[in-house]
Amino acid sequence: MSNNEKNLSKYIDSLNEEKKPKEHVRKVESSELEELMDTVRLVKSLREPAMPASDYPDKIVRTVTNELSQKTEAKKISRGWFLGLSTTAAVIIMVIAISLTSSFGRNNIIYAMEQAFLDVKAYHGILEIKGMNAAGKDTIQAKLEVWADKDGRYYLKRIEGLQTGLTTVNNGQSKWQIRPDLKQVQIFPAFPDPYRFSFELGKEVKDVRNAIKTKQIGEEQVSGREAIVLEVLPQGGEAYKLWIDKETKLPLKKQSAMQNALQYTITYTDIDYIAAIPAELITYKLPAGFEEINTNTEQLVNNLQEAEEALGFEPKMPESIPTGYIRSSIAVELDTKLIKLYYTDKDKQSKVVILQGKAASSLKPASTAVLGRINSSIAEIQSPIEGNLGVLSGGGAYAGITNISSIRWQEDGFEYAVVGDVSIDVLNMFVEGIAGAKLQSSSEDDSLTAKPQITVPVDLAIEENEQKSVDAGHSPWKLDPVFVAQVFVSLQISPEGIVGDYPIKYEAMKVVQNNGKEAIVEVNDDKSPTSKVYLKKLIRQDSTGIWTVVGYDPIGK
Amino acid sequence: MTEEEKIKETQGEALKSIEEVCSDTWEAIYRFIYSKVQNRQEAEEITQETYVKALAYLQKNNIKIDKYTAYLKTISLNILRDKWRKNKRQGKVINIEAINPMEAAIDDVSEASAQRELVQNALDCLNEEQRLIVELRIIKGYSSIETARIMNKKEGTIRVIQYRALQRLSEILKNNELP
Repeated sequence: MSNNEKNLSKYIDSLNEEKKPKEHVRKVESSELEELMDTVRLVKSLREPAMPASDYPDKIVRTVTNELSQKTEAKKISRGWFLGLSTTAAVIIMVIAISLTSSFGRNNIIYAMEQAFLDVKAYHGILEIKGMNAAGKDTIQAKLEVWADKDGRYYLKRIEGLQTGLTTVNNGQSKWQIRPDLKQVQIFPAFPDPYRFSFELGKEVKDVRNAIKTKQIGEEQVSGREAIVLEVLPQGGEAYKLWIDKETKLPLKKQSAMQNALQYTITYTDIDYIAAIPAELITYKLPAGFEEINTNTEQLVNNLQEAEEALGFEPKMPESIPTGYIRSSIAVELDTKLIKLYYTDKDKQSKVVILQGKAASSLKPASTAVLGRINSSIAEIQSPIEGNLGVLSGGGAYAGITNISSIRWQEDGFEYAVVGDVSIDVLNMFVEGIAGAKLQSSSEDDSLTAKPQITVPVDLAIEENEQKSVDAGHSPWKLDPVFVAQVFVSLQISPEGIVGDYPIKYEAMKVVQNNGKEAIVEVNDDKSPTSKVYLKKLIRQDSTGIWTVVGYDPIGK
Repeated sequence: MTEEEKIKETQGEALKSIEEVCSDTWEAIYRFIYSKVQNRQEAEEITQETYVKALAYLQKNNIKIDKYTAYLKTISLNILRDKWRKNKRQGKVINIEAINPMEAAIDDVSEASAQRELVQNALDCLNEEQRLIVELRIIKGYSSIETARIMNKKEGTIRVIQYRALQRLSEILKNNELP
């Protein structure tokens, strides 16, 4: 009996992990057990199915065409639905080969890596982070003990380098950091999590799959293991190298491009694939003599009724959400009267939060945000989030986390924001579910229609140097169109230079249009000789590009 | 139209056909198989095999059909039964030749919702503790350790209750003992 109980429990675990149970391949000895397994599947059918990755339909097409081409090779079919299929298969294979701009070897290793990662439940390793300067000098920046699992839970402990002993844990429900230097344990919300570690295998596999180009450039040994070296050109970034273990088919080492005269190499000097992170590591316990600092003000509730009772308003639920996402939890922030609906995708790799609260005042978008419209209201789009305003300010520092984007708007006296580590397109599907209409982003327009009355000449060589200087961390204000406009107008008033406060206040400026490449800032101050300032991102049109004044409208002209 | 243009056009049509058939039907087929196997790995494997077998058969016999979904579902069920034949007592294998592609149709929508209803009712017949454990373990997908923690019980106890709950459920469903 006890064996049957264990086997049934393992069977449930297999299905929960979306793996084929061994009982589906081998004969089950006990007919009772077989019946109970049938019952398990019936019960599980109440749950939504786990859907495959987005490239799965393409995979079917590839496999079918490959198989059919093998079967029909040299056989000419003259009529019917599959007319010319064998030659087509050859064409498809060619097209695939050309469009991937690399050999089949690339597909095989990436496919093998994806498949190998499917079997990983959790891993434990020692991660070494090395920095190399332009002169080729290596320094160990940090050594970390890493425990991580497929559900995004992790335990990280610094075992060498600065802040040795610093431990960060995220168990999916909450996150905490043990600071031996301060004798403190700081508690944070589990999401968003800005401290995700640098070499999370799931993220690496995903990045390679989404890369623009991948090329096998050689083979090398890493920590005594044979590895294939890939060069990966990611979307929107510099090419990096990734070493894949030939035996396990999983990443072992990563080397970034040389940026700001520094290159990072991250290596798993030791890694084991395990069944789960030991429970004691991801269970919260305040060490003796430590003080607990709780910065997490959100409180989980079981259902919408509880949220409604706590907040005093009926929260709006999305009518629809993108395929593959499920709601994972509901939380409320009592001090700011906010509800947070958490959603996660089937692989638990991405999270999206819908925030809703009563609108305290009219929507004032962050100065760096792109502006759009939802229904007839103005919407703030940030990718990544640079300013925490309105509902974004409640409970959780979303700003400054590079992979988190948001869309925020107001409707019927409420303010909403959809926040997540996903693309704006995915966020937009959630927006549609809530607002009943998609976001109309002004970045879809090619250029702004309004033109300045007076054009300001620009020197591109100077701007390029400015951009480099901002990239290196100087004058970050150049990334904010309002700040750039404020400096421009202030210098019009005091051309000799600004001493003390700016003659025009930052609050007197308002972004009226911003499509991410061009912006118009309105100046509402009687002292200002200018009513509107026109700006452009001349060097780079993303969140790291600097704004330059290209024109203005003088007052009363 | 030159011969070369004709070939190109035909190639384009065939390419579109496979892609179209797959993109129009894969989700329905995948969901259908998943409803039987209840795990992604196996559902992906069988879906893929279904397309290879079905399309190869249609191609070999030069058959054009309208109701792909129904036909593909029948093929997938056949593959599944074939795979499970060795360790299952139920389910008979249908010969692929015996399925008429023009007529095959499995209307599983109403069947599926009736089944859901039955399972849900059967769950309601369990005692509170049994129902909660089955829900946590199978519907919510918690591990037995997590379930033990939530229920404040030992892992072994969870396994015992879960076994008894499923025995009870199986009896209810088998004997149609619903209230």
